[in-house]
Amino acid sequence: MADLWRTISERHGELLSALGQHIEISLIALMIAVVIAIPLAVWVQTHHKTAAVLLQVTGVLQTIPSLALLGLLIPFVGIGTLPAIIALVVYALLPIFQNTYIGLRDIDPSYEEAADAFGMSRLRKLFKVELPIALPVILSGVRTAMVMIIGTATLAALIGAGGLGTFILLGIDRNDAALTLMGALAAALLAIVFSWLLNVMQKVSWKVSVGVVAVAIFGMVGSQVYTYVTAPKETITIAGKLGSEPDILINMYKELIQKADPDVGVTLKSNFGQTSFLYNALRTDKIDIYPEFSGTVLASLTKPSAAQQQQVTAGKDNYPLAKKLLAKQGLSYLKPMAYNNTYALVVKESFAKRYDLHTISDLGKIAPSIRAGFDLEFIDRQDGYKGIQSKYGLQFKVDSMDASLRYQALDRGQINLTDGYTTDAQLRQYHLVALQDDKGLFPIYRGAPLMRTAFAEKHPQLVAALNKLAGQITEKQMQTMNYAVSVKNEKAATVAHRYLVQHGLLKEVR
Amino acid sequence: MALISLEHVTKEYDGKPVVNDLSLKVDQGELFVLVGTSGSGKTTTLKMINRLVDPTSGVIEFADKPLTSYKMRDLRWDLGYVLQQIALFPTMTVAQNIAVIPEMKGWSRQKIRTATDELLTTVDLPPAEYRNRMPSELSGGQQQRIGILRALASRPKVVLMDEPFSALDPISRTQLQDMLLHLHRALKNTVIFVTHDMAEAMKLGDRIGVMRGGKLLQVDTPEKIATNPANDFVADLFKGAQANQGLQVTLSQLAPFAADVSARHAVGGNLTLAEALPLLDAHEALHVNSEHGAFVVNTHSVVAYLASAFVDQNTETKE
Repeated sequence: MADLWRTISERHGELLSALGQHIEISLIALMIAVVIAIPLAVWVQTHHKTAAVLLQVTGVLQTIPSLALLGLLIPFVGIGTLPAIIALVVYALLPIFQNTYIGLRDIDPSYEEAADAFGMSRLRKLFKVELPIALPVILSGVRTAMVMIIGTATLAALIGAGGLGTFILLGIDRNDAALTLMGALAAALLAIVFSWLLNVMQKVSWKVSVGVVAVAIFGMVGSQVYTYVTAPKETITIAGKLGSEPDILINMYKELIQKADPDVGVTLKSNFGQTSFLYNALRTDKIDIYPEFSGTVLASLTKPSAAQQQQVTAGKDNYPLAKKLLAKQGLSYLKPMAYNNTYALVVKESFAKRYDLHTISDLGKIAPSIRAGFDLEFIDRQDGYKGIQSKYGLQFKVDSMDASLRYQALDRGQINLTDGYTTDAQLRQYHLVALQDDKGLFPIYRGAPLMRTAFAEKHPQLVAALNKLAGQITEKQMQTMNYAVSVKNEKAATVAHRYLVQHGLLKEVR
Repeated sequence: MALISLEHVTKEYDGKPVVNDLSLKVDQGELFVLVGTSGSGKTTTLKMINRLVDPTSGVIEFADKPLTSYKMRDLRWDLGYVLQQIALFPTMTVAQNIAVIPEMKGWSRQKIRTATDELLTTVDLPPAEYRNRMPSELSGGQQQRIGILRALASRPKVVLMDEPFSALDPISRTQLQDMLLHLHRALKNTVIFVTHDMAEAMKLGDRIGVMRGGKLLQVDTPEKIATNPANDFVADLFKGAQANQGLQVTLSQLAPFAADVSARHAVGGNLTLAEALPLLDAHEALHVNSEHGAFVVNTHSVVAYLASAFVDQNTETKE
């Protein structure tokens, strides 16, 4: 609880702006859904077959998993707010359409007869009689849609649309429960507040409601237009996955690019949730550059043959193969950085010193006294604990534990060995060391900028600028930078800039 | 002169005639009642007059011009309409319901307000108290008073009433019948009133049209129908009405049939027999305090009274 208050007070500025984004995305989506669904439901009152079809269609749309829907939308509409809003609209259609349709359909026919007999026009009947009578049912549909939208909008953060989901995703990524809780609580509170507002609007006169809604629309459309108008015309979009490390890297890319060509505008989109989102966005020209790891390229983005697979298993550098396979897809994989961000077996510095541990093989001499805590995934992987047993011939007493708990458990001495990643901030935070994978068990994950070949050919000076990072940044340095961002809460841009200056990378190439 | 005339009007649904070659004239200022059992085509006939239903063949004229020559909206604004289901718009107040047509006609707020208050006063609902109530806050009888005011508000030339009182309790029904007669006499408007209740028809109608199977069997004044029914069906309908009328006598008139038992449940002598029947079902015997003295009635008294009333009637019709 104390953590939560501290997090809120530290990040109240970010919280407010994320809240603003969240409200904006949610309300725009809700209004678009209302504007589509209600007229549609009115129209199908006289077309019952179409109504049945539409109910089916909106129902099917709602069963599409939100992540899948976001992924499907990226090739068509890109990343950011637009696909998020489209996805939210798609989800909101069913409850609003269904309730409006049923609300209107179930009106006692004698009211319709009365309205007709008094010579009301079709429109007057709709607005004076039918919609007011169906209003409570319609509004309950709108309320359902709204609560759903506010909840689902947390996923918008996955595709760079911001909002409260950013905190939830970052909190999960950084194992910061207070951060996740803050995002989740804010979203829940928002849903409650808006549900209440809708209730109030139902009771006050419709003129007031329409006024409030009109002002809200005007404000949002205005801010959208302003953003659009003031955006630089020629921009390069660089995106990155969730977490501090990609965030630091893309900030470096940005500085290097702007140093090489001060006229070019660079937009950063950080904290994308899924590799496939970025990959599709890159291939469909929605983003221009993102940092990718060679191991991921071979596992998820390309289909290496069995022979090729064989070449790279034995801990060999897999970057050349990744580059070759990507080139076939029309993608250019620039030169990689020094560090290898892969699995590691991790012990305390003091523990390593006491037993003189440098490599995984060194563990052999003290294996019986080791108490290890691995996450379930690692225990089960061939290139995880299974490989440790077969390739290194090591057996430990192993507890399975959640990934989020293992570093704390190690710090408290409940275990003395765990699995982790070589660039994790916690290595620095808790004074841990990663043992060297001397037999080459773990796959290699080398990071480098990925872009379309056409883009690379068109911008040779940018390629040269980004290649300045080739062979730079060690695992220790990356740990330190991750620590600065995710534990010390420094800005990724600050940390990136500091590194570039300290290592003389901002000097002119020529 | 005829304000509304139907000439050889037929309405078929799926090839079956519901109204069959019906011709009828309703005069200006007349309260005309269409009476018949359910399925007789009376409601369809009524709905063809304001074009809620269009005839399959035949011509209907309003003020000597075919209905189809009028703009639908103007026609309906000239033909007030009262429904059996009452159907006050539930999201509007009493005043807003009454003002539905005046508002469409573009009356000023002030004029609407004055007219609404006047109308409410004429049906004994004080405007200050009832103007802003919602329909759900009114009793059935009060709701239908507003239903009638809503039809009358814009001073239509004709008011069409589709079994307006049949869903009401007997007391409200009697009150509203009296109110309708009072309004009709005051406004001298033309009313076409549909009912399945011959007694109601006899009470209200200047003339009555008896319908059966889509045909008009007889159109006449209540007196002529009573004395000179066109056929056995009309005669039976009339007799049934008389029997029903029998239930409208007050309990005080049952004094000759008093029962020699004791009763604990006391009622007033001005209660009608129709109203007393449910009480008799519950209490077996009722202690009646009438102005002619107190006595007790039970089911035997009622049967004895009805028997004597029917015997009188049958002997009358045979003569």
